[in-house]
Amino acid sequence: MSQDLESQLRAALRPIAASATFEKRLIACVTDDPQHSQPKANSVGGAGWRSRARWLPVAAAACVLIGVGLQNRLQVRRERENGLEARRQVVEALRVTSQKLDLAYEIVKSQSSSFTDENPGV
Amino acid sequence: MNEAVRQFTDHELALARNGDAQALTALVLAHQRSVYSLALRMLGTRDLAEDLAQDVFMQLNRNLKSIESREHLAFWLRKVTAFRAIDQLRQRARVATTSFDEDTHLFNDADTSDPLLQRHLKLLLEELSPAARAVVLLRYQEDLDPVDIAQTLEMPINTVKSHLKRSLEFMRQETPGALSSRGEDESI
Repeated sequence: MSQDLESQLRAALRPIAASATFEKRLIACVTDDPQHSQPKANSVGGAGWRSRARWLPVAAAACVLIGVGLQNRLQVRRERENGLEARRQVVEALRVTSQKLDLAYEIVKSQSSSFTDENPGV
Repeated sequence: MNEAVRQFTDHELALARNGDAQALTALVLAHQRSVYSLALRMLGTRDLAEDLAQDVFMQLNRNLKSIESREHLAFWLRKVTAFRAIDQLRQRARVATTSFDEDTHLFNDADTSDPLLQRHLKLLLEELSPAARAVVLLRYQEDLDPVDIAQTLEMPINTVKSHLKRSLEFMRQETPGALSSRGEDESI
C-alpha cells in the first residue's frame, strides 16, 4: 500500500492473456478469412470459384434487368412504327377519297353545264 | 506488448500482407494480449472483449495492405480497439458498470502487489468516463507517453494530460491514506 498510485496502476494493468480457446478461435478466424485469400493464377476451385459464385446472383439480376429494359424499348419502338403506319394509311385513304371527290365534282360540274347549254330557258 | 511487438518481424508483416497463414498466426499471437486486455478493461466483460478483439483483428486482416510497419500495426490496433470500445460504451452506457464486478480477471493475477488495492483500482477505473479510461489504459497498460496517446485517440495533448491528471487525482481522493502522491505525476 505504500507504493505510489502510478506504480500500482502499471503493475495492475499489465496485459492479460485471453483464454487458449479464444486464441485458437481468433487465429482460425483471421487465417480463414476469405477476404484475405489471395487469388491464384491457375486456381480452378476454392476461393476463386467461391468468389465467382458470389457474383453469379448479381450477374443474373443484371441480365434480367437488361433484358426487361431491351424488351420494353423494342415494344415502344414497335408501337411507334405501328402508329406511323396507321397514320400513313389514313393519309393515303384521305388522298384517295379526295381524288374521288374531285372526280365526282368534275363529272357533276360537266353534266350540269351541258344540261344548261341544251336547255337555255331553264 | 512492446516485447511481443519486437518478436513480430517486418518480414513476417510482409508475409502476413500476402496472406501467409503462419505470419498471420504470429501477428495474432504477438498482439492479442494487448488488444484483448484493452477491450476487457474498457468494456468490463470477457464476452464483449472477445467479440471486440475478434472484430478488430478481422478489420485488420482486411486492411493489412495499408499497414506500413510494426509500429504502425501496433498504433492501428490500439487506435481501432480504443475507438470501438469508446463507441460501445457510449452506446450502452451501463454495460460496463453492471458487469465489472462479475469479472475477476481484469487485473494481472500474477502480480505481487496488494490485491485489495487492485480491486479498489478496478472499481475506480470503472468510474472514469470512456475517454478518460482509454487514456489511463494507454498510459499504464500500453506504456505510451501523452504525445502517443494524443495521436492514438486523436485528442489534443492538453486534453490527454488533463484526463490523466484528473483521473489520478480522482483515484487518490477515493483511496484515502492508501497511496502517497510521490512524484506528483511526473510522468504526465
